[in-house]
Amino acid sequence: MEHEDPRNSESPHRSSKKPKFSSNYIPESEIRDEFSHHQPRVARINNGSFGSCPGSVLAAQRRWQLQFLRQPDAFYFNTLRNGITASRMIIKDLINADHVDEVSLVDNATTAAAIVLQQIGHSFAEGKFKKSDTVLMLHCAYQAVKKSIQAYVTRAGGSVVEVRLPFPVNSEEEIISEFKKSITEGKSNGRKIRLAIIDHITSMPSVVIPVKELVRVCREEGIDQVFVDAAHAIGSLKVDVKEIGADFYVSNLHKWFFCPPSVAFLHCKKSNASSDVHHPVVSHEYGNGLPIESSWIGTRDYSSQLVIPAVLEFVNRFEGGIEGIMERNHEQVVKMGKMLAESWGTNLGSPPEMCTVMIMVGLPSRLCLNSEEDASRLRSYLRDCHEVEVPIFYQVPKDGEDGVRANDGCITGYVRISHQVYNTLDDYEKLRDAINQIVEDGKTCEMLCIE
Amino acid sequence: MASSLHSNNTQICPNPTALNGGSAADGNSQISKKPRLYADPPPLFTPSDIMSEFSHHDPAVARINNGSFGCCPSSVLSAQYQLQLQWLRQPDNFYFNQLQPKIIQSRTIIKDIINADHVDEVSIVDNATTAAAIVLQQIAWGFAEGKFCRGDAAVMLHYAYGAVKKSVEAYVMRAGGYVIEVPLPFPVSSADEIVKEFRQALRRGKQNGRKVRLAVIDHVTSMPTVVIPVKELVTICREEGVDQVFVDAAHGIGCVDVDMKQIGADFYTSNLHKWFFCPPSVAFLYCKKSTNNSDLHHPVVSHEYGNGLAIESAWIGTRDYSSYLVVPKVLEFINRFEGGIEGIKKRNHEYVVEMGQMLVKAWGTRLGCPPEMCSSMVMVGLPACLGISSDHDALELRTCLRDKFGVEVPIYYGPPKDGEEGGVVTGYARISYQVYNKVEDYYKFRDAINQLVDNAFTCASLPIS
Repeated sequence: MEHEDPRNSESPHRSSKKPKFSSNYIPESEIRDEFSHHQPRVARINNGSFGSCPGSVLAAQRRWQLQFLRQPDAFYFNTLRNGITASRMIIKDLINADHVDEVSLVDNATTAAAIVLQQIGHSFAEGKFKKSDTVLMLHCAYQAVKKSIQAYVTRAGGSVVEVRLPFPVNSEEEIISEFKKSITEGKSNGRKIRLAIIDHITSMPSVVIPVKELVRVCREEGIDQVFVDAAHAIGSLKVDVKEIGADFYVSNLHKWFFCPPSVAFLHCKKSNASSDVHHPVVSHEYGNGLPIESSWIGTRDYSSQLVIPAVLEFVNRFEGGIEGIMERNHEQVVKMGKMLAESWGTNLGSPPEMCTVMIMVGLPSRLCLNSEEDASRLRSYLRDCHEVEVPIFYQVPKDGEDGVRANDGCITGYVRISHQVYNTLDDYEKLRDAINQIVEDGKTCEMLCIE
Repeated sequence: MASSLHSNNTQICPNPTALNGGSAADGNSQISKKPRLYADPPPLFTPSDIMSEFSHHDPAVARINNGSFGCCPSSVLSAQYQLQLQWLRQPDNFYFNQLQPKIIQSRTIIKDIINADHVDEVSIVDNATTAAAIVLQQIAWGFAEGKFCRGDAAVMLHYAYGAVKKSVEAYVMRAGGYVIEVPLPFPVSSADEIVKEFRQALRRGKQNGRKVRLAVIDHVTSMPTVVIPVKELVTICREEGVDQVFVDAAHGIGCVDVDMKQIGADFYTSNLHKWFFCPPSVAFLYCKKSTNNSDLHHPVVSHEYGNGLAIESAWIGTRDYSSYLVVPKVLEFINRFEGGIEGIKKRNHEYVVEMGQMLVKAWGTRLGCPPEMCSSMVMVGLPACLGISSDHDALELRTCLRDKFGVEVPIYYGPPKDGEEGGVVTGYARISYQVYNKVEDYYKFRDAINQLVDNAFTCASLPIS
């Protein structure tokens, strides 16, 4: 029954309108309320890993869940499909896609990777591609994506070429140059590159990649398909899939777009390849196109896919809507990054224009962060003893290089700080002071005691 | 119809070790407390307790389709909500310290209930549809990697679930496998009829030197619903040299007896949100330890790839895993019924048969199978004068019952067999019974059909959509 529909938005086609009057903008106190379910006193500066969701969107989600539980058959037959279509329409407008048929909702970028790579895997297994053909990816690609390539490409006989990007990075040109080198390698000995996987914003270390240029290079070089893994993108930077021009583009909505865990969109440009992508969990909708297949993969809770209208209402309570949020997050994270680097005598991992809502900040070399274990240990210590949540990156020093030198040694570790609407100056001061305390106490990572 | 409160209970007591799963190395791990060893068991639910637990169901609806989407009591929903909040509160901490121990706890409880040997054999996934993708994907690799020959066969029941059939198409046929469907009689009179058809289908499968690589057998078929003699069919598979047997028991746990060692299949999956009171959605996939099936993977690949299916399935990217984590709470709920899950199953079966017989008597029709071949659902013939003559008719009738009469029940169209004449029952309703049902639900259905018959309603008069 449509009048019971808990969707806040009346129109399924509402695009992101900017609010008109400043007195209507959400006050600070309400922002705090919206995130009052976050653990107080924790300096939560890792929005990148698991995202965040405001109370009003959680409430909308709960209404959807209860509606299903109340009468699931009626929900399945009369409500679910329309609700998902409405969400997809909003996404289509947000990302400047041509047609809603190009937009599928899936759980997360990890699922999207499985979808794209399974299709590539089929082509290897079915002899469409030669065993020597390659798939190109970034060396710092997300671990799940790397494993997906192993599971679907390497297993089916395909080869992989990794692009080693410099870090710290100084300019986009460095990235483009490395990328071109790897393409040459991938095409050597008459091989064909069947797929290039490019992060829009890398995870660890986090840097914004010039995807538009890289996609152009891929086209020039005759690469079959381009898949942009933009897990962090929507809500971090402007996403225009036509401009970027990739064959596949995925972004999580629960990271920076205030959706509950979990939901992502996968954009598939209409083409021959896109007609052979399938959701790996096969339901009776198999063969009806990826968006329809993904909208029913068996009985489960689809509520996170249905709250996108409520999210739009939320972001439009902010000055400038989602664009305003992105701008302010960027300004603040750069400001906080610089504050930390200055206090610690270290560096930023990239110039401000190559980051969006997250930035890498060098850790004092006196921490002697010399392994993944050290990074893990430091992270746990910060969580358990200082109530600071921030991911730590260990930079393996290149052979023969000293790495970035700072005041008293090489920088081998970085924190990835983030800024989202709920963050305050306190959060970063807490991190700053915690690190300074450890250094003052003369402790190295190895010496840190965790419970 | 309310369950009477007897004093001698045969409840499942949680295995003390089951609730202490989790590694010692977790920093802030909140490993579950040991269960209180009760002097007296917790009080059994009264009928009004039960009503209250399901007060979120639409009161205007006679909800006799528990088979499709299941149900979840409000005390379990509350527990789920708490878990969701815990995640949202500090997700990193939850991810590093709590998620895995809690999943192991759920898996351990399931292992005990299903009589599996080792918790490694138990993976938790979203639903049986996902489990099918897992099992069938490894079959596809078998073909792709030349382990199997093109034309080797997979066998499945004609009444296999739609999603499973499509999975077989997507993973087996596409990879070069040959698929054989076992026709099953319906209405069915005895398990022997099923066994006979199955043997014949296996013979066909092995013709021309083909090997049968996989048999997919429903434990309880969906539409039309019938309990299949799986133990016997698995034995036949072994005798006939079938490589692997996958039992699709979407309706299994909480509906029929699920004893992995007794049934003896290589793979067995069952949804927990259908008949085991979990929220949507959660299922287990049991994989018997053997060299034959070390190659199972979750199709959504995370950094856990290669660490075994159970570990892979416990992290497939950021999502809400809360439905996987409420199994301990569900056990508490179930143990407040006399006889625990066994008592619930027994009473559900008795009542659904009683209600089925009441309906066939009222309508002058028949049940789709003998009582001993049904579980907590049964197929009830609808009056032939309704003129159900296609799947479309069945769906339209179902919609009519929902919208005009407030009755939710799935309808099945069974084409008349060759030689059968008019007046034959071609439509069946699949009624279910779960703890929240009342006799009024079935009277409402009875009366709705009677009214349609009185009004000379036929499906032919429905608008063509």
